Amino acid sequence: MSNLTLSQAVDYAIELLSDSGGVVVGEVSNTANLRWANSSLTTNGNTVEQSLSVAAFLPINDPATAKNIGTAVGIASGQITDLASVANLVDKSRQSALAAGVAEDANDLPTGVAAKDFHDVPASVDLAELEHIAIGLNKVFENKHSEYFGYCEITIDTLYVATSAGMKTRFEQKTSRFELSAKSIDRKRSAWSGQSGTSLLSVDVHSHGVEVDQGLKFQENQIEIPAGKHKVTLSPSAVADLMIYLMWTASAREASEGRSVFSAPGGGTRIGEQLTTRDFNVVSDPEFPGLQTINQVVSLGSSSFTSTFDTGLPITKSELISKGKLSSLGSSRHAASLAKLPFTPLADNIIVTDTSGTGSLLDTAKRMQNGLLITCLWYIREVDSESLLLTGLTRDGVYVVENGEIIGAASNFRFNESPVGMLNRIVDAGQSIACLPREWADYFARAKVAPLTISDFNLSTKSDAI
Amino acid sequence: MDINTENLAEQALEIVHSAGATTGQVRIAQHDNRTVALRDGQVENVATESSIGLSVRVIHLGAWGFAATTDLTSAGIKFAAQKAIEIAKISAAVSTDRVELLPEPQVGKVSWNLPFEIDPMQVTDEEVIELLKKWNSVVTKNAVVHHVDAHAAMGKDLTYFADLDGNRISQQRVRTSAQLTAVHIGENGFDDMRTCAPPAGRGFEYLLGTGWDWDSELAALPEYLDEKTKAPSVSAGNWDLVIDPTNLWLTIHESIGHATELDRALGYEANYAGSSFATIDKLNTFKYGSEIMNVTGDRMADFGLSTVGYDDEGVAAQEWDLIRNGVLVGYQTDRNIAKKIGLTRSNGCAYADSALHPPIQRMPNVSLQPGQQDLSTNDLISQVDRGIYIVGDKSWSIDMQRYNFQFTGQRFYEIKSGKIVGQLKDVVYQSKTPEFWASMKAIGGKQTYLLGGALNCGKGQPGQTAPVSHGCPTAVFENINVLNGKAEAGL
Repeated sequence: MSNLTLSQAVDYAIELLSDSGGVVVGEVSNTANLRWANSSLTTNGNTVEQSLSVAAFLPINDPATAKNIGTAVGIASGQITDLASVANLVDKSRQSALAAGVAEDANDLPTGVAAKDFHDVPASVDLAELEHIAIGLNKVFENKHSEYFGYCEITIDTLYVATSAGMKTRFEQKTSRFELSAKSIDRKRSAWSGQSGTSLLSVDVHSHGVEVDQGLKFQENQIEIPAGKHKVTLSPSAVADLMIYLMWTASAREASEGRSVFSAPGGGTRIGEQLTTRDFNVVSDPEFPGLQTINQVVSLGSSSFTSTFDTGLPITKSELISKGKLSSLGSSRHAASLAKLPFTPLADNIIVTDTSGTGSLLDTAKRMQNGLLITCLWYIREVDSESLLLTGLTRDGVYVVENGEIIGAASNFRFNESPVGMLNRIVDAGQSIACLPREWADYFARAKVAPLTISDFNLSTKSDAI
Repeated sequence: MDINTENLAEQALEIVHSAGATTGQVRIAQHDNRTVALRDGQVENVATESSIGLSVRVIHLGAWGFAATTDLTSAGIKFAAQKAIEIAKISAAVSTDRVELLPEPQVGKVSWNLPFEIDPMQVTDEEVIELLKKWNSVVTKNAVVHHVDAHAAMGKDLTYFADLDGNRISQQRVRTSAQLTAVHIGENGFDDMRTCAPPAGRGFEYLLGTGWDWDSELAALPEYLDEKTKAPSVSAGNWDLVIDPTNLWLTIHESIGHATELDRALGYEANYAGSSFATIDKLNTFKYGSEIMNVTGDRMADFGLSTVGYDDEGVAAQEWDLIRNGVLVGYQTDRNIAKKIGLTRSNGCAYADSALHPPIQRMPNVSLQPGQQDLSTNDLISQVDRGIYIVGDKSWSIDMQRYNFQFTGQRFYEIKSGKIVGQLKDVVYQSKTPEFWASMKAIGGKQTYLLGGALNCGKGQPGQTAPVSHGCPTAVFENINVLNGKAEAGL
């Protein structure tokens, strides 16, 4: 990008927008990854991606009276090489704003201040993180009784966010992800282990290897279990995948319009309704220890959950479900005003707890006495919006628990369940732990979640997949 | 592209050649995209995005090395080329599987452009917004419609591929799509109905009526929704299904398209997207479906979203059989994995969704061929005594080896004694891939053939999305397990 730094480009774009306002976000994403299959490394990469996004505001006047009737917003993103390319993006975003007309969610930007570290250079990834994993894998691959598959990634995102209301903030966010699958040589057994965090250096590859080998050992005894409604203990990863979908659906606007599982019959929302009698909580909190994430709204675009005009507003702890009761729904300022509910911006993490939950996943499964321990869920999709019925598959380990002990493994199953409807069937829980959501890790990796035991979990049909 | 692609590529190739790489491939890709979204007739978002980057992929010491950058200066190119070599060295220490590519005839300096009438990225935002507003006003004339979500997306890709074998390939592709969903809020819940128009490898002319009758579909949408709100809920059990191409394309995508990806069959996707039941030992013997089932892979179909001149390893576009007379006879390959099963040439399915990602084996256009007899959809419906005619796609899910799947749709028409008697709702169909395709007892002719598809097929780690099309006729399936979506939710 020649000699123009990204933070300078953000500054210049804001200067160009000074007459009518706007939001500018520069992003550098530096990522390195390794992938392996059949106990050998396959693909890999180290990429550095820089982009500048401009949301230009434009006052719109009534053609007849020439009076201002509102503000429009248009967005343009791209790579920049020099000041002219920055000006080009600003022009494009203004053209889009002019075409868009008055924005329904237009609002005053919150005033902000310039951070001292705004012009600090973007962080870069150290390839030593990959080497750490590669060395660990070399040891794991020595086991010739199984074959190993997996992926690891370390990403550092550096954001330079500025608004025409004075905000100039630099965010730096590290995200790491490690996944290891093991399969028996005959490919009739399969186990998985995953870990999220902020550095691959904290990954103990050996212990993940032990965990998946143990899973394959349990699966040596295959037990025929028919499809149907079963008592199950869901791992934290599986619960996270279901609760993340619940959170993505927890929109104040959709609920108030009558088009969501959180809509009340006859109008309004279900806020205040007791979804479970347990002390069960679903929380999003940018300051949560170990899961810290960006604590201000940074939005390029509008939806029920967010608005460009909210950029710079603080994100604080939000309790979607508190003590088993639906307590709030996510919103932008505009959506909140339409729904007549408090403004509730959501952070990029999820914390799911059951206050009475004790012990580990294995402890929880043993307390179930008789049932199925489900390791992962996969290919989760919405079937019915009114009930938030989701379908998907179990994956990489459905263990049969009998008299409080794991005695073998069942086949995989297709499930049809609602993450809302199942809450009143929680019968036990363990302690929350940091986990990697198997299905949604590409988009959502910060989760601390409790294992849950659910009665009558609908395992609709068997799946022959391994 | 407004940059000297040739010069940048030559710089990178020179660095990796000097470092001793046995294979060196440089891709420069520019992707321009625009999305416009309206909610209840108000513009919610209008955004354009342009990205450009350069990647270097090498085979060095028998291992892959890949690095990419958006910094298109000499310093940026040098960084990427050196990183690719460095990562190959790290990989080589842990790789037991030496990477080798099948040879491919050199094509030299060539260019290929997907034909279109109106460049979708040259149309103004105003034109797109006005069109969606017009559509919004058409459907809101009917009081049954309480909310409308309308969305249009279009894109254009310019790519340049250069390798140490002397290939210098420039290509241009476009794609256009739009959807409109009408929502009804009732006393006891809500229903919605969406347009069925698929995304297409066409220019903006597509949204003006070339290749799809938007006017008719939009005019009928409120009536479809109204009927759905009053429709009885389906009785769970076994039903014969007549599946329209607007729904069947997605079943093909999931149960055939992904299942015949060779990288899945070889285990390369096992940790993520999964593997495939269609393993190598089944090639040329496995009965995938009934004898009227013929499925091809191609990168050449007119208006196909996976249509190209050359793939991202420089392999020329081809067409080939995947399933012939119901038997598995082929896979989708790239130059590395094709060699692993003894093929002599890749069929050209390497694809990367941006210059920042390495090419992996991605899906070509995978299409079910129409029957010899040119039967219409009504001809097929008339053969069914008790069944459901399914139109439009909605929910989809399939297991890790592509056996157990479950789909819903937009509209479900009950068939009694060969005639449609009205809509049903809450229909969910579930089956296992070989059983489902074995139950296909009749197939429509060319007159029912339609190219469906998706813009967002996901695969790989790091994740990549790919646009892909699937052509198919209407087809009839016997005794398929139908669930009631509300009953499954315990309602």
